[in-house]
Amino acid sequence: MLELQNISKQFDQKTVLENINLKINSGEIVSLLGPSGSGKTTLLNIILGLTGIDQGKVIFNDKDLSYVDMKNRGFNIVFQDYALFPHLNAYENIVYGLRNKKDTASAEEVREYIDFLELKPHLKKKIGELSGGQKQRVALARTLVTKPKLLLLDEPLSALDGVIKESIKERIKSIAKEFNLTTIIVTHDPEEALTISDKILIINQGNISQFGTPFEIINQPQNDFVKEFILRQLQIKRQNIFNLFGEKYA
Amino acid sequence: MRNAKPEMRVIFIIILLLFVAFLIAPLLVLFFRSFVTDDGGAGLSNYMASLSNSTLISAIGNSIKVSGVTAIITTALAFALAYAVNCTRICQPLKSAVKVGILIPMLIPTITYGFAIMYTFGNQGLLTKLFGRNLFEIYGFNGLLIGYVIYTLPAAFLLIHNSFKYIDKKFIIVSKLMGDRTLRSFLNTVVRPLLGALGGAFVLSFILSFTDFGIPASVGGTYDVVATQLYQAMLGSIPDFGQGAVIAVLMLFPAVAGVILLNYLERFNFHYDKFSETELTPGKFRDSFYGILSLVILLAMFSVFAVMFIAPFVTAFPYDLSFTWDHIMDVFGSNDLVSVYRNSLIVAVLTAFLGTIIAYGSALLNARTPIKGKQTVDIFSMITNTVPGMVLGLSYLLLFNDSSLKGTFIIIVLCNMMHYFTTPYLMAKNALTKMNPDWETSGELLGDNWIKTVYRVILPNSVSTVLEMCSYYFINAMVTISGVIFLVSAQTTVVASKINELQHFAKFNEIFVLSVLIFLTNLVVRAVCDIFQKRAAIYKK
Repeated sequence: MLELQNISKQFDQKTVLENINLKINSGEIVSLLGPSGSGKTTLLNIILGLTGIDQGKVIFNDKDLSYVDMKNRGFNIVFQDYALFPHLNAYENIVYGLRNKKDTASAEEVREYIDFLELKPHLKKKIGELSGGQKQRVALARTLVTKPKLLLLDEPLSALDGVIKESIKERIKSIAKEFNLTTIIVTHDPEEALTISDKILIINQGNISQFGTPFEIINQPQNDFVKEFILRQLQIKRQNIFNLFGEKYA
Repeated sequence: MRNAKPEMRVIFIIILLLFVAFLIAPLLVLFFRSFVTDDGGAGLSNYMASLSNSTLISAIGNSIKVSGVTAIITTALAFALAYAVNCTRICQPLKSAVKVGILIPMLIPTITYGFAIMYTFGNQGLLTKLFGRNLFEIYGFNGLLIGYVIYTLPAAFLLIHNSFKYIDKKFIIVSKLMGDRTLRSFLNTVVRPLLGALGGAFVLSFILSFTDFGIPASVGGTYDVVATQLYQAMLGSIPDFGQGAVIAVLMLFPAVAGVILLNYLERFNFHYDKFSETELTPGKFRDSFYGILSLVILLAMFSVFAVMFIAPFVTAFPYDLSFTWDHIMDVFGSNDLVSVYRNSLIVAVLTAFLGTIIAYGSALLNARTPIKGKQTVDIFSMITNTVPGMVLGLSYLLLFNDSSLKGTFIIIVLCNMMHYFTTPYLMAKNALTKMNPDWETSGELLGDNWIKTVYRVILPNSVSTVLEMCSYYFINAMVTISGVIFLVSAQTTVVASKINELQHFAKFNEIFVLSVLIFLTNLVVRAVCDIFQKRAAIYKK
């Protein structure tokens, strides 16, 4: 279980996050949803250990990790643009971490990850030859091979289009289920957040606006921000789809 | 942001110390030395003496005059060539020939230019024979002018050529469609966006000419310029360190002013983010005009250097033109000259190796780490860009004259590393900034320490840049004379400084053989570099 207690963060005297309290259960997918500049990426980086905190605590499975180095927390992240190493091929990227810790994953396990993510036909390809969805899966594989206790995804779908987006969404859900992996996703897209996650944390100007399941967010929006910026968007989208297909399909 | 790692701090401290010891300290010493009077006190007497020295004053005037004329001619020629390459439909082979041919002077020491000019335009020169009479007096203003123009043309061309890449050629078409006349179209779509670059080319050519030593050392004759005055003051019959320091400080002024001006001109440059390749409009007259013009410029340049490749292979140029290997054999048979060439190689290899490490390390800290105070590296890079080689060399002489560094290879290497730091540093910084900023974090999460990520990820992805940096350092270390003229000893003489000695014994065959040797060495290094770069590019895909 991941617990955030009273997290605050300032950059140059500007408050980016204020008194964030949060509990995430094992195996849950949680989205951090908010407009740009809301502080969601900062919160992700704080959990990862990339950004230090000014105040509060990060507790994981009853251990206080607030001042533990990023490297020693045992979490891992897939960046928005994947940060794959272009001089290595897909396979070499996937096993990159094994050079440092050989016993993290056996050859058998690596093969399982590769099969699970359907990467077998692409292993010999250079990063530049992969499509967006393939890169995303290679990056996921590279991260999963290190067996993280917590998986962080920074805007995992924003660089993908159409159908690929939906298939990666399903993939992320199945990863969390298959490996019982707590997953935290940063996104600015309400539809994405509400369709992929068990719970959504809506952040606005460094504060928690609402934390709840998709059902709760839709049916019991707690304030105007959630109504105006989150629900309104979805309603417009729904209206557009209705117009396209006609009410009878609704 | 992330915190700086201890290993980053260690590298940063090493780099800081290097720059303080071998850039800041020598320059401060030079500055203070210029105020030390003959009786050991402090005062302006050196300056008074120098400013009342009519030879020096006229030398400064000469330098300004010849550098100014050079800058005008070079800028015009460089613009014409860059325009021919970028905005006309002259045939591709000619464009390639311009792009490659124009760089040839960079592979040869400037001091050789002077002798090539003598052998071309002098009393017994190649062109003099062809025309049947002396075209003009070469010793002095004319010779300097020709030499400086050849010397500054590659740099000015590269500068303008690079700016052309950032001009959206669609504007030329838009301007045509809007009904602009030729002149108006040309001014608005080519000259105006290039204004910064043209000004930059002018300033750059001026500074390069003003501070070069090789060309006046060979073809200057009795026409005094600042560089030769500085050499006289330090290594002439009556060395006067005080006056030398003053001249060096005076030489710094235009260089400083020039760099400030360059930064100011940067504002006039246009920066288009997106532009696509566009078909150029046809123009028969334009194409033939620029085609012929670039051919003429190239041929004129080659004709000056042609003698360098002819003279060493004939018995006695220009009297006996029968082919012979004798001069080549003589040079290779002479222990003295072979060891000079070996010295040059040692210096160039060490400079390339150590210089690239320092420049790459500096760029790495600046571009990809959160270390505090990393901006200082940018300041060092601005200083190295400003200080002329002769001034730096002289500062080293003043500071390290009594130390054990005197007369060693390492002092020459250090001087070259500092002198040529800016370009490789900017190359590396540019390449490193463009790389994905999350690689280090990814590497760390996958179990790497910072050094390991640099070695396993950052370095392999910048092989091409590293090679480019190495070859830049190598080639410049091979050809530089102004930077090392004060630092070489009998044991560490390099080819360029040896040529300066050889001219007093009229050993021109040896001079040309050595120059050809430098040229070929640089050519080989460049070619090897290209091959590896191509391989790296394929490997990347």
